[in-house]
Amino acid sequence: MAGAPYPGWRGGFPGRRDAGHRRVIAIAAVVTAAFLVIVGQLWYLQVLEGGHFRDASEKNRIRIRPIAAPRGILFDRNGVPLVDNRPAFTLSLIPRELDRDVARRDAVLGRVAAILLIPYQELVDAVARVPADSFLPVRVRRGLTLEDVAKVEEWKLELPGVIVEVEPQRAYPTSRFAAHLLGYVREANEEQLRHGRYRRGDMVGQSGLERLLDEFLRGRDGGERIEVDAMGRPMRLIQQTEPHPGGQVITTVDRRIQEAAERAMEGHAGAVVVMDPRNGDVLALVSTPAFEIDRFTGMIDRAAWLRVVQDPNYPLLNRAIQSQYAPGSVFKVIVAAAGLQEGTLTPLDRTYCSGEFHLGAWTFKDWKEGGHGGVDLHRAIAQSCNIFFYQAGLKVGGSTIARYATAFGFGEATGIDLHGEKFGLIPQPKLMRGRRAWHAGETVNMSIGQGAVLVTPMQVARFMAAIANGGVLWKPRLVQRIERPDRGVVWSDSGHVNGHVELSPIVWAFLRQSLWAVVNDGGTGAAARIPGLDIAGKTGTAQMIAKSKAERGQDHAWFTAFAPLRDPQVVIVVLAERGGKGGQVAAPIARKILNAIFFEKVAAAGVSG
Amino acid sequence: MVGIDRRLLQNVDWPLLVAIGGLIILSTTTLMSLHVGRAGGTVAIRQLAWFGVGLVGLLVVASLDYRKLVRAAPLFYCLGLAGLVWVSLMGRTVSGARRWIALGPLTVQPSEAFKLCFILATVWLLISRWVQPIGRGAVVLTVAIAVVPALLIVKQPDLGTALLLFPVLVALLVGAGMRLRLLGGLALAGMSALPLAWLAMKDYQRERIFVFLDPFRDPQGSAYNVIQAKIAIGSGQLLGKGVAGATQSRLAFLPERHTDFIFAVFAETWGFVGCLILLTCYVLLLLRGFDIAASAREPVGRLLALGATTLLATQILVNVGMVTGLLPVVGIPLPLMSYGGSSMVVSLMTVGLLLSVRMRQFQ
Repeated sequence: MAGAPYPGWRGGFPGRRDAGHRRVIAIAAVVTAAFLVIVGQLWYLQVLEGGHFRDASEKNRIRIRPIAAPRGILFDRNGVPLVDNRPAFTLSLIPRELDRDVARRDAVLGRVAAILLIPYQELVDAVARVPADSFLPVRVRRGLTLEDVAKVEEWKLELPGVIVEVEPQRAYPTSRFAAHLLGYVREANEEQLRHGRYRRGDMVGQSGLERLLDEFLRGRDGGERIEVDAMGRPMRLIQQTEPHPGGQVITTVDRRIQEAAERAMEGHAGAVVVMDPRNGDVLALVSTPAFEIDRFTGMIDRAAWLRVVQDPNYPLLNRAIQSQYAPGSVFKVIVAAAGLQEGTLTPLDRTYCSGEFHLGAWTFKDWKEGGHGGVDLHRAIAQSCNIFFYQAGLKVGGSTIARYATAFGFGEATGIDLHGEKFGLIPQPKLMRGRRAWHAGETVNMSIGQGAVLVTPMQVARFMAAIANGGVLWKPRLVQRIERPDRGVVWSDSGHVNGHVELSPIVWAFLRQSLWAVVNDGGTGAAARIPGLDIAGKTGTAQMIAKSKAERGQDHAWFTAFAPLRDPQVVIVVLAERGGKGGQVAAPIARKILNAIFFEKVAAAGVSG
Repeated sequence: MVGIDRRLLQNVDWPLLVAIGGLIILSTTTLMSLHVGRAGGTVAIRQLAWFGVGLVGLLVVASLDYRKLVRAAPLFYCLGLAGLVWVSLMGRTVSGARRWIALGPLTVQPSEAFKLCFILATVWLLISRWVQPIGRGAVVLTVAIAVVPALLIVKQPDLGTALLLFPVLVALLVGAGMRLRLLGGLALAGMSALPLAWLAMKDYQRERIFVFLDPFRDPQGSAYNVIQAKIAIGSGQLLGKGVAGATQSRLAFLPERHTDFIFAVFAETWGFVGCLILLTCYVLLLLRGFDIAASAREPVGRLLALGATTLLATQILVNVGMVTGLLPVVGIPLPLMSYGGSSMVVSLMTVGLLLSVRMRQFQ
């Protein structure tokens, strides 16, 4: 239009197709093109990428809230619960409801930390792990006391986003009840989370039966699909899946015997195993000192955890299967069995015990000053004469002793289903060559269960059960069956035999008779004697080489027995670490337990109704 | 001045009015689906009420002779400017922005009304004999009458509305016959003003630019609107989720959903097909506007129609562009769709200007 005459207010355009007209059309074209760009963008967003954005919008509005399945309960062989669930209070934070302002949020967390004595950093970390707009509670501390709950309620108005939830939690008869057998349950740790089978906050069995049977016990969590609005407020329930409770486990343990054994072991470090020799059922399994299993459930604070882990008495160690000890005189039974079966020993073999035995330049002593005088095999077992067995061991031979020990299941796992079982050690003289070649002195030492021989209390129990039942090595059984409320029995164990020891009946009879004498006929196990009950047993003292006066009397005390003699129903093994002599320390403990097993039955049943 | 004879009525642009009717129906139904406020539907009803008010405004403007309006432009401009000054001195502050003045029970946004004053004043200036031919002097003068109010509006702060003035100004200059070489110069000047604008921006405005460049820099914070709007639009897919299924909107994931982001609600509910219908209404409206400009018989009508149409087009494109993620977020409502009285009334009065020009095309 430049150069065209100025049309002014009244003027019209010379023709319809003037320059201004073209410019208006051009601007219209630009605008239309811009609209096409927008249509293109809409095509991209809605048609090409629509599915992706649809998913994103679903993710926006759908929240899945898990409903924890109640953990299965462990029962004893009589249907008495070993562990139960009870409602427990859990402190949780709801990130969405916490103050958006960081300073004020931290003030709330600080107040919670101060009220409940929780490390402040723990709270901050817990909140930092989840998105800030999540309305799902983050569990911070399980197992609040009623006092704690009251405090939180009292401060409620100053604590936005802090709630107390009620969840099922493990409950135990006593603080340390069957701690090693049952095992503790804790939130899945980082490693388990990495493994991918658990979600954060899941309760997972971390040791003992809880760990072994976790799969069955945990059940299947249910869940709710909830539609939430932008504020995270639940608007409606879209779908709900009921949780499947965990399976009920019927163990072989007898709660009464377990409790009696724990009572009897009070004040001693060591282990007790009670087994049924007829089928390998483990009736009680005690390891002391035990950790406080109820405090391990839920959230243990770091300090408490370190206190347990760094305890010089190793309370986490299951001494019944994870500790190895020299068997001491208990091993003499194997030497006797080997000699009798092989014909190298007879009941008429006699030795004069002067209290000392010379082999080359070496002198081996008896535990009894001055010796036992004249002894035969029977008395040698009953009074646990070392001198007799030094000579007997040389007669039988190291390799043969090792062969019989292996046949009785020593040096290999019992196959019990608990984690971390130790194998023990039976030295094999035949395999020792060169500088480590076997010499007679070692056979002498092995004959009384010293030297390189190492066994676990569980192995001793299986061995003693084999003596009682005539040579059957049962795999220790802990779980009879697992039942699910909806599906009946889902797993059962009818017992496994690991092996047989073939000895002539006369040898079995002789051994049993000698073991009876240990307790009832002037033997070392007299302290275990219960009049009217035929107990057959063997004491043992695993000597520690005393390097100083303070270490005297630091020997491990063994006592193992079965009863009644004619129809053995229970086998018991007691090990008291650094307790002293087997006959003085372990035998009385065993007596208390045996007394409870056979004679307190009625009374206990009366009390429990 | 107010006289409608039968010849005028014969020239009413019916397609234009049909497009507006369609938009109002879409706007009201969308607002009805949203349940904003205490009771569902109140927003839709108030929008309809504002539509009624706007319709009166439209009729008044359409019945006036636009040439007389342009002659009175200096007066309108001064009034508009006074309104802006009033806002900056004693305006009502809502959520940090001082954009409103209270008139009895109502609050109005002078910056909305000023857009019309600005068009009238610019047309008045460009048509004056003493700026012919349109050269550097005219450009400087028109930029001057744009910059002063723009600064006042930026201070509110309402950067979006202030920036709207410039595309309108450029369209009017081009339509008035400015040499296109000067357009290049104007573009250069605009570019060189960008650093200054950057300095003048508030932090949240700069953040919006960053978010535009990188939407995922702060998904829960400043980028939340953009991301949620994209999710809403995209999840509508081809046919939309329907009113009940539009969860982004219904569950309030989408912010500003009844005002600036209403397009996203619509897109989620009715999908790509629905968007095409909505955009068709707008394109129909705008093309009729450009047709009125193109077929005007004299410069005042042409420039007025061109300015009015460009104003509407810019608002629509910037709003939809921002909601679909093509442009940074600036607070501009979608004309005739977004809830808001001032916007509705002024948009309809703008259409009234178009009708006024159309009806007097053959006089």
